[in-house]
Amino acid sequence: MLHKQILVAVAIVTLIGSFAFAGGQQDAAEDDGVITLEVLHYLDLADNTSSGNFEELVDAFHAANPDIRLEFDYLFNEPYHNKLQSSAIAGQLPDAVFLWPGKRTGEVTSSGAVKDLSPWVDGVRDEFAPAALSPQGPNGEIWELPEQVTATHVMFANERLLDELGLEFPRTLEELLEQGEIIREAGYIPIAMDNADGWQMQSTLLSALVERTAGREWFDRAVEGEASFSDPEFVSAVEVIQTLHEEEMFSPGINQASYGEALTDFVTEEAVYLIDGGWRTSNLTGEMTEDQYEYVSYNVFPELPNEQGQAGSTAIVAGTGFGMNAELEGEMADAAWEWIYFFAGPEGSRIKAEQGWLPAVDIELPDDSPELTLKLADFLNSTPGGYVIDAVMDAEGMGVLHPLLQEMMFGNVTPQEVGNRYEEWVENNDSGRS
Amino acid sequence: MTISREKKVAYGVLVGPAVLIYAAVIIFPILFSLAAGFTQWNGLSTPQFVGLDNYVRMFTDPVFRLGLRNNLLIVAVSVFGQIPFGFALAYIIYRRMVRGHAFFETMIFLPITISAIVVAKLWNQIFSPRGLFTELMRIITENDRFVLTIFESRTFAIVPILFVILWMYTGIYMIIFLANLQRIDPGVIEAAIIDGAREHQILLRVVLPQMVNVVFTTAVFAIAGSLKSFDLIFAMTGGGPAHYTEVIAIYMYLNTFKYYNYGFGSAISMMIVFLSLGLITAVQAVFRKLEARYV
Repeated sequence: MLHKQILVAVAIVTLIGSFAFAGGQQDAAEDDGVITLEVLHYLDLADNTSSGNFEELVDAFHAANPDIRLEFDYLFNEPYHNKLQSSAIAGQLPDAVFLWPGKRTGEVTSSGAVKDLSPWVDGVRDEFAPAALSPQGPNGEIWELPEQVTATHVMFANERLLDELGLEFPRTLEELLEQGEIIREAGYIPIAMDNADGWQMQSTLLSALVERTAGREWFDRAVEGEASFSDPEFVSAVEVIQTLHEEEMFSPGINQASYGEALTDFVTEEAVYLIDGGWRTSNLTGEMTEDQYEYVSYNVFPELPNEQGQAGSTAIVAGTGFGMNAELEGEMADAAWEWIYFFAGPEGSRIKAEQGWLPAVDIELPDDSPELTLKLADFLNSTPGGYVIDAVMDAEGMGVLHPLLQEMMFGNVTPQEVGNRYEEWVENNDSGRS
Repeated sequence: MTISREKKVAYGVLVGPAVLIYAAVIIFPILFSLAAGFTQWNGLSTPQFVGLDNYVRMFTDPVFRLGLRNNLLIVAVSVFGQIPFGFALAYIIYRRMVRGHAFFETMIFLPITISAIVVAKLWNQIFSPRGLFTELMRIITENDRFVLTIFESRTFAIVPILFVILWMYTGIYMIIFLANLQRIDPGVIEAAIIDGAREHQILLRVVLPQMVNVVFTTAVFAIAGSLKSFDLIFAMTGGGPAHYTEVIAIYMYLNTFKYYNYGFGSAISMMIVFLSLGLITAVQAVFRKLEARYV
């Protein structure tokens, strides 16, 4: 009897004790004067170019800041956003997190989980391009320090292939369509693009087309509800995509191709044109040969009929960058700022410029900067920009627009229906209309 | 303390922690989801009670209805494809109708041992615009723009995924049936053979009646597993293109974690529970009748 009671007591004590130890160890934020920061970063570790470049940047930061230690957690695509979101909801946001300037991470930044960087930014504002530091919050907050100003639409061209085919970069949509048959008969893909995830078509092409067919003023009115996405201004931009698809200008199976397949087709010179974002410059720099740099040109989509917006425009948004947990104070907050500023500021930008990034900070690019970085800089300096749709409209609405664009390319809906159904969703749900 | 009371205390102490953990990890989340399903909540702010709005929104959303249809097709493939197929393969191996039965057992079971993500990526590499199948077809058809257009069909885009599910999960049912077939007394089958029974009579009169309970159990597994299908499909197509291969679990995932609609996502998760309970109850009713007749 006593023996059994003792056994039961031992079992209870062991069980309760195991709960106490189940929490594991927690790292101290400060140890021997070294401040340790947990950083959640958006990085595809399978991308050797990007991950190698980032490792170089982190090594440089640690060398320059021996009193700060960064511990990274890397995720990419939707898993990154899931973790960011769940961390914010659980109140366990890492010390520094990678953020988007617009609505992509808007729910997190507007929740109070992220600290306004304005007190730190004000001291370095003059170092950055004005477009990079546009207000991100309703009261002018800066949630993240952009590492670059991003052009989401660039029409890269392989000039060597154009010469081989006896062609020049087209001035108009009609000229582009006429090139299609010549390019296909030579065994090449006219325009390499991939759209399995759906966002690529909206971000890297439709946004720029809408600027041409409609312009910023129309878009501002559409956000407010004074114009409609079923207007001809928007629908005509969508019609251009339908025309390109029907004329077999895109990669075959574009809506089944994962992001990155189009880049491979362009790098391996199986495609004459590539439509993607300016951020691809670093990948092109890492994966192309120096000879190829010389004959890759940076362009915008050719002229459309009846353009009402800025001619020759792209779509521009302040880039992504790091922000910090709102609960950080004192030395921890200052350490987090050191990393944030290093990443987007002059020091990190100089390293990244050598890797093919064009920074938001105003630095003089070294003469030995990669050729494609210099071309991107020229492109941004000379090309006006309109809005990127998903930076201005609600993220949930993109879940309506992106599949509609795919369905249109499958022939299941018309461009007018795309406009009508997207407008219906925006009218009933978008936060800009409420 | 009496022996009976002592036993009750011992039971309570030994079972209690497991029950507490079960309640915390299973029961509480289900009840929380049930309650959250009646709210509009982005996970970061205070939930707002909206009654049945989430359920009305769900059933009026064509994307949900397409996901439900896809899920029911997966249930059908699982119950009427994997189970009969698995049983047939198990019976062939059990009755030694092929040589090298150990080899076939291994090869049929092998797919289930591979991670669903790896399987998805493997089949993606075959079906994608740059995949093995596509490149072969481009050579055969001499059309360098050939792609598998079945994924562009709202009706048939789910078919390749059904094929992969059938390929991947039939092996587990084969093993379950094989294990249960091996429990049948060989003397009964020998007696049937001596009495002049043919193979189909052995199958229908001796083997199948003893498998009724096993078929019911595997049907329950198939229904529950099919309704929560997520990993394979998400890795293979993400539910796209254009929602054509979306299932309810992916619909729930996107609405909850991509669009911050935790209340709506909770309602969807409860719908999965209700559907599972409904279908399993229906299967139970059918098998009670079969059990009464054959067992």
